[in-house]
Amino acid sequence: MLSKKYLSVGVLLLVFSILLSACGPQREVTQNEVTQGEPEKPEELTIWAWEDTKSAFQNIGDKYTEKTGIKVNVVAAENADISLDAPAGRGPDLFYETHDRIGDAYLQGLAAEIKLTDEQLKGYQKSALEAFTIDGKLLGIPSSVETIALFYNKELVPEAPQTIEEINEIAEKLTNADQNEFGFLNITSDFYPTFPFLTAAGGNVFGKNDQGEYDTNEIGLASDEVVEGAEIIQSWHENGYIPESLTYDVMNGLFRDGKVGAIISGPWGIPDFEKGLGDNLGIAPLPTYKGKHLQSFLGVKGFAVSEYSESKYWATDLGLFMTNAVNSKSLFEEVKRLPARDDVDVENELYQGIQEQLQHAKPTPNIPAMAQVWEPMGDALVFITQGEDPKEVLKEAVAAIKEQISLLGGNN
Amino acid sequence: MSKQRHNPKIAVTLSIVPGLGQLYNRHFLKGATFLLLTVAFVVSFYQFLNIGYWGLLTLGEIPRLDDSRVLLAQGIISLIITGFVITFYVLNLINAYKEAVKIQQGRKRDNLQKSFRDGWDKSFPYVLVGPGLFLLIFVVVFPLLYMILLAFTDYNLYNSPPKNLLNWVGFENFISLVTVPIWRDTFFSVFSWTIIWTLVATTFQIALALILAIFVNDPRIKFKKFIRTVLILPWAVPAFVTILIFAALFNNEFGAINNDILGPLFNQTIPWMTDPFWSKIALIGIQIWVGFPFVFAIFTGVLQSISKEWYEAAEVDGASSWQKFKSITFPQVMFATAPILIMQYAGNFNNFNIIYLFNQGGPAVRGQNAGGTDILISWVYNLTFETQNYNMAAAISIIIGLIISGFAFYQFRRTRSFKEEGEM
Repeated sequence: MLSKKYLSVGVLLLVFSILLSACGPQREVTQNEVTQGEPEKPEELTIWAWEDTKSAFQNIGDKYTEKTGIKVNVVAAENADISLDAPAGRGPDLFYETHDRIGDAYLQGLAAEIKLTDEQLKGYQKSALEAFTIDGKLLGIPSSVETIALFYNKELVPEAPQTIEEINEIAEKLTNADQNEFGFLNITSDFYPTFPFLTAAGGNVFGKNDQGEYDTNEIGLASDEVVEGAEIIQSWHENGYIPESLTYDVMNGLFRDGKVGAIISGPWGIPDFEKGLGDNLGIAPLPTYKGKHLQSFLGVKGFAVSEYSESKYWATDLGLFMTNAVNSKSLFEEVKRLPARDDVDVENELYQGIQEQLQHAKPTPNIPAMAQVWEPMGDALVFITQGEDPKEVLKEAVAAIKEQISLLGGNN
Repeated sequence: MSKQRHNPKIAVTLSIVPGLGQLYNRHFLKGATFLLLTVAFVVSFYQFLNIGYWGLLTLGEIPRLDDSRVLLAQGIISLIITGFVITFYVLNLINAYKEAVKIQQGRKRDNLQKSFRDGWDKSFPYVLVGPGLFLLIFVVVFPLLYMILLAFTDYNLYNSPPKNLLNWVGFENFISLVTVPIWRDTFFSVFSWTIIWTLVATTFQIALALILAIFVNDPRIKFKKFIRTVLILPWAVPAFVTILIFAALFNNEFGAINNDILGPLFNQTIPWMTDPFWSKIALIGIQIWVGFPFVFAIFTGVLQSISKEWYEAAEVDGASSWQKFKSITFPQVMFATAPILIMQYAGNFNNFNIIYLFNQGGPAVRGQNAGGTDILISWVYNLTFETQNYNMAAAISIIIGLIISGFAFYQFRRTRSFKEEGEM
């Protein structure tokens, strides 16, 4: 039989010859030329959107085709795929994204900076633009905004409560847990709808440095003001206003069936609640605490231009067209997305409550570190509602958030 | 015929270029085919392999232009192709040698038709297995290699392609897992619960199945078929449906277990969803419920195949029923089912469904970054999809894989029932 040594030498020779010849590609780095003025029109532009807004966007896109002659394709796709598809040349020109995920896209180098003139920026809400800005660069054109508000059942609560004290009164009066009847419900294990109450007296997620950038080393969620807010939330559970492991399904179901005076929800819940409550559904801005309006998180959705788009100029132009006053209004009429603009009035009583609250909303921090805040804060809220000491729990949560952020590898 | 002056060593040496050795052996058709294939391979794959190996070594050099993830994939495919090629290459060397030896010993060469027929007969099993194996390599082996290699890179959220290039970091991720405090604490607490969960839940489900199987198998029991059918039912319902229903039943305030059973009867409720200890108890209970029918069915089959005469002989010797169980039933059942039971343990070690569907690995535990009931696999899921720590998730996955395969392999080797089927 053939000796093994002989064989292995032959194989090694082969492998080495392959490895030695692996000298890599021969290439030269070319710089993109900067063109002046209006570049040539592309034949078509592709927008990646979500299933629920696809047809509404296509309608607006068809208008754009009439105006400019550029064909617009709206595709329902997963934005998570952009990082592989775009470099391979199968990506979109524009993609529809929430502002708190734009930081991820920016880190991966997928969202291009959008340079707009003051003329072009006119009409957009300042806070919405701010939401899409990272490192001083605008990364998205705002399309719609959303935030939470107080949803109440007019049959049980004829007048919307104006202050937290009034909310407590309603809860005291209407709650009868054995009958599954409640005065006021909120998912206190979720940081998103609880944030306004937690920061009723003051506090924020991230501080800002001198350049106005979020500073992840400065987490303002364990201050005395926040502890004050945490005690309010704790008192709801101590007094039995809110059951311990309340879920969204249960809360929404009870509210829809007319068993709850008021809950905290957002525009996404309106269609369902209208079915159950009809004209008895009322929406008001969040109450005040010591004369100050509660601050909710502002969520902005908009269009980001892909770094890999071959015609960024026209992609930006399309993005501006998609979000102009006329089209924002038609978008609201079609899919009930509140415009991210100052110059559009939606004339819809239910949504006006949310619009009022929008004035007191501030953008959810758009840096990727924000993704690490939700879970520790949700956990902390659970401990607080179980009666643990808020100060201690919040301190631990902040330490956990800092640890998680450092785990992300942002420091190397 | 007499011995020929035909040197096998020359044949092999010539075959370093595939085909030449065959030509030397005067197998002109075969030699020509080999040569042609070699040339075709080099021409068509040279560029691909070149980039593939360069990518595997460097993971790219220019950010934005090179995508490390794609280069890594191309590198792995290059490795797989190289593996194929080496196999054929070695076969070609062996073939050149063997044929040369035949000629040297003066054997008559087969005519073409016969050699084809022989070749076809010999390679027929490989032809059958081939397509499946090929698919397996690209569907299973390729992703596995990709994951293993990711564990040695610095791929996380803040270092994501296409903007950034990945780098090889050696064993750094594994070292952080046991040196960085938060990783270490979480890793060991999750790991210990995973072990406890695997041992307790699986052992209990096997024990319950065994007890029930023995009872139902007792000659004194009537309506055997009906009872068996009822006991198999939990297996008939899809597991995820069962788990979701249980999750609703166990809800602290609205679940039937607290509301309709514990509350009225004992006047107290248990925090199933918010206390880690009770969550674990609930999970183990659910797993026993979901898992025992399968084992029960197997045990029932085995019990029926144990010869009655043994028991009769034992009774003549005056054995108690405990002695009969200990010396006949238990060894027989274990002997026949050990490999399946081991796979039950391995399956529960990675039972993502039940942990995730019951309460996403919750409830929260103060001072660690995984939930109270998270097992390794659900923690990996969180690391991948929540915090995008791809490198750490891959490193932990490797550890999971090693544990599972080591455990299963060792046990299979040890199990007599497996050995009897033939040596590995």
